[in-house]
Amino acid sequence: MKYQNLIPTVLFFLLLNCSPVTAQNADSLLKYMDNLMSAPKDKVATMQMTLTEKDGKVKTKEALLKQKGKDRKMYKYTKPESQAGVSTLSLPGDVMWLFMPAFDEPVKITFLSKSQAFTGTDFSYEDMDSRSYTEKYAPSLKPSADPENYTLELVPRTKKSNYSKIIVTLNKANNYPIKMEYFDTKGTYFKLATYQYAKKGKYWYAKEVLMKDLKKGSSTKIVMAEISFDQGLKDDEFTVKKMME
Amino acid sequence: MKTITGKTLTYRWLIILFVIFSTIFAGYELKNLGIDADILRSLPDDDPDAALLKRIGKNFGGNSMGIVILETEDVYRTAVLEHVRAITDSLGQIEGISSVTSLTNIINIKGKESGFEVGRLVDEYDLPETPEALEKLKNNVKANEMYRGSIVSEDGTSTIIIFTLSDSADVRTVAQTVLAKTQALNIPEKLYYIGSPMLVNYISDLMRRDLMRLLPIAFILIALILLISFRSVEGVILPILTAVIAIVWTLGVMSLLDYRMSMISNNIPIILLAVGSAYTIHVLNRINQLRITNRDEAIRKAVEFVMIPILLAAVTTMIGFVSFIFGSYLNMIMAFGIFTALGTFFASMLSIFFVPALLDVTTSKIRNKNLFTGKIKKSFLSEKLLLRLNVLLFKHPKYVLTTWTVLILISIVGMFFIRRSVDIQDYFEKGNPTREAERIMVEKFGGTKPVFVLFEGDMQNPEVLKTMLEAGEYMEQSPDIYTTQSLADLIAQLNEAVSDEMGIPDDQEKIEQLWFLLDGNDALKRFVNEDLTEGIIISKFKSPDNNSKKVFAGYMNTFIEQHSREGCRISITGMPFVDITMDRSLINSQIASITIAVIFSILLVSLILRSLSSGFFSAIPIIATITILFGVMGFTGIPLNIATVLVASVALGIGIDYSIHIISHFNSTLKITGNARLAIEDTIIVSGKAIIINVISVSTGFLILVFSEMVPLQYFGLLLTLSMVGSSLGAMTLLPVILILAHRKKNKDHFNPSL
Repeated sequence: MKYQNLIPTVLFFLLLNCSPVTAQNADSLLKYMDNLMSAPKDKVATMQMTLTEKDGKVKTKEALLKQKGKDRKMYKYTKPESQAGVSTLSLPGDVMWLFMPAFDEPVKITFLSKSQAFTGTDFSYEDMDSRSYTEKYAPSLKPSADPENYTLELVPRTKKSNYSKIIVTLNKANNYPIKMEYFDTKGTYFKLATYQYAKKGKYWYAKEVLMKDLKKGSSTKIVMAEISFDQGLKDDEFTVKKMME
Repeated sequence: MKTITGKTLTYRWLIILFVIFSTIFAGYELKNLGIDADILRSLPDDDPDAALLKRIGKNFGGNSMGIVILETEDVYRTAVLEHVRAITDSLGQIEGISSVTSLTNIINIKGKESGFEVGRLVDEYDLPETPEALEKLKNNVKANEMYRGSIVSEDGTSTIIIFTLSDSADVRTVAQTVLAKTQALNIPEKLYYIGSPMLVNYISDLMRRDLMRLLPIAFILIALILLISFRSVEGVILPILTAVIAIVWTLGVMSLLDYRMSMISNNIPIILLAVGSAYTIHVLNRINQLRITNRDEAIRKAVEFVMIPILLAAVTTMIGFVSFIFGSYLNMIMAFGIFTALGTFFASMLSIFFVPALLDVTTSKIRNKNLFTGKIKKSFLSEKLLLRLNVLLFKHPKYVLTTWTVLILISIVGMFFIRRSVDIQDYFEKGNPTREAERIMVEKFGGTKPVFVLFEGDMQNPEVLKTMLEAGEYMEQSPDIYTTQSLADLIAQLNEAVSDEMGIPDDQEKIEQLWFLLDGNDALKRFVNEDLTEGIIISKFKSPDNNSKKVFAGYMNTFIEQHSREGCRISITGMPFVDITMDRSLINSQIASITIAVIFSILLVSLILRSLSSGFFSAIPIIATITILFGVMGFTGIPLNIATVLVASVALGIGIDYSIHIISHFNSTLKITGNARLAIEDTIIVSGKAIIINVISVSTGFLILVFSEMVPLQYFGLLLTLSMVGSSLGAMTLLPVILILAHRKKNKDHFNPSL
């Protein structure tokens, strides 16, 4: 009888004790992940994008990437040849500039919808958004039998998202994501991103990301080549004038 | 002949076993028989318009587009927008749907002072709620022709949600899921569904429903008529059994040859039930007429007697069906002709071989005299009707002839009023949801008949794109084209947003770089191919009127002749163009099939009966009937369409049977008695009874089609019934009168009124 009375009490304290710990862990794990991903002050790389259609047709794109912090990012496209010289510049406050050499003048583009595909890839502008995951999503830790990885469930903090949740498989040893499963607003699993990490100097970085659109059957592979970190890029490297050079 | 019938009885068990095993085999094959309600697939590949339409449909996904129409009082209300968003989200979830475009997710590119804004027309996460915000949305829609009349109707009462199926999608499954998911939302606004996938699914359902509903009714009614006529179990079971086996064999062969049931071949079971039972009716009727007590002898004699007329009747019916091969435009009509002819052949063979074999093993060796003695004389048909008919024919042959002549003359006038219809709206009854959807699309969204202008050349070449833009503007000057969409429109719009300059840039490099903004856009696949060597202008044609379609074809051909050149080849196709050919083919096919059917029937009857005059005589009643049939169509406004175009030849094929039975009976009796009057009287009494039973049962089968949910089939059933009644009346009145008048001069003593 005594034990029977004791069980709910123990359970209550256990649950009371567990919940905040789990939440705190989830938050800190996501922060670790964010920190890892945004650890370098700046980076310069060649980004190779391989787009594979459902029927097996392949297209490639290549761009020179320069990034400083989270908010300053410049892509200068080198491939395909017809689009060589086309550049985009992202600046703080969701501002994006586009320069097409044939037009001489740069134009400011405002992307009001983040669900659109990023330059024809399987990534959306929401996926490529520079804001941290912590800013965009509320995490919770999910039970996992995997001894090497955590499972985090990310739920968008606002309703203005393409996703209802993202399930992140996070490497316990290094805190980098190795897999992200995307669920649409109706809760259907429809995109999968897998990451391969490499270490350059003191930084871990996603050397290769493969995004598969499970509904369309297409995929996009992004490979970071010739990457270098902390080159001391100044803010004035990220100006419209520089983009046009 | 004697040998054949003798062997039939000798090998009766072999025949029965063969029929049983073949039926089991064919029946097993039925499980693979699918339904194909897609008219586009039935278009012939040798017609350039149809072939191009199919090619464009395949390459640009034009045939895999479905539309949900939402109709309400005012679309510009938050609640309505929420429902549009809910439908958009639901459709987007469906496996097999690759893209969805609606008011709540359509892209909006707006030029601004310092650049341009790419966003949605409506923020799907933050729908407009205040009257001001809703008014602003309304004004944005009205100001942009990409939305006005394309996504939202000009009067703001309807909006459409367009979805595209992926290449591998199962059309039926997707369409059914679309219906289930959108209806499960329980939204108060009216929803309508249109577009190829939804139409194919809807027509497939109608076909299935028609078959499941009408076939059993036809069975029951024909069984009742046979029971009343023969008053015996075998008289009911054998004709129906023959027809059922013929149906199973025919559909089994269709399945085996990988054919599918179309809107037209869906009628094969009902037609074969009607036609296929007829031959057995003649066999049974003849056995009943014979006053022979020995079963085997009665069967043998009866079959010997009816074999030639049955074979002749079957072959002429088959000619009627096979005549569709010549001149018919749609593949499904050809398939219908071939398989119905095959079914007719099966039914006739079964009546000659299987029915005697079965009768031989199921009935007693010695026949009951009461079965046949005096029955003919005492039946209502022979006593009350046929005897009186004989009196009428011999007393007033010229009155009868005059009546027919007047009817034919009136009908010839009516023939000039026949209208033709190839419009899909006419397939459905008034108030039918698909017809309503079609009406809304025509009235508020510029129609549903797609028009495609294909450009072959470099799709990034400024000159090609300028011609494309010019072609679009030229098309929009036609009163039947509401709006056009093309790659050139997209490039011009982007150019304006980026450079503030209107139109297509002169520099190809600019176009190639603008492509950066288009890359990966799903909508692009609707306008340009992967290799950028082909692009299309998409439009819709408003008017169902065929003359308007012809005018538009001429108008567009002028533009094409002037602008098509090396490096920029232009061609046009679409349903209006297919409709023109289909409309023309209705006439050609009608003339070709009737001519072929008439010539072959006359030749065949002349050859078999070894008398050219018999051949001509047999054709007179049916030609008269077909003339009256066309007259009725002209006066009542029943149009010539893909179903009614079949009636005349089918009527000719089946209707000539009655004349064949009359002629062959008359010839054989004349040979025996040498008295033309007696021969005619006996023919009317004996063959007339079989004809009346047959007409009632066959017509009942056809009349069931009046309850079909598809209007062309209702007319088909009605007109065939009319033809059957007309041709039987012709065979029993017009033909005997001609025989009377022809023989009266030669043998005056036979036609003495005192006799």
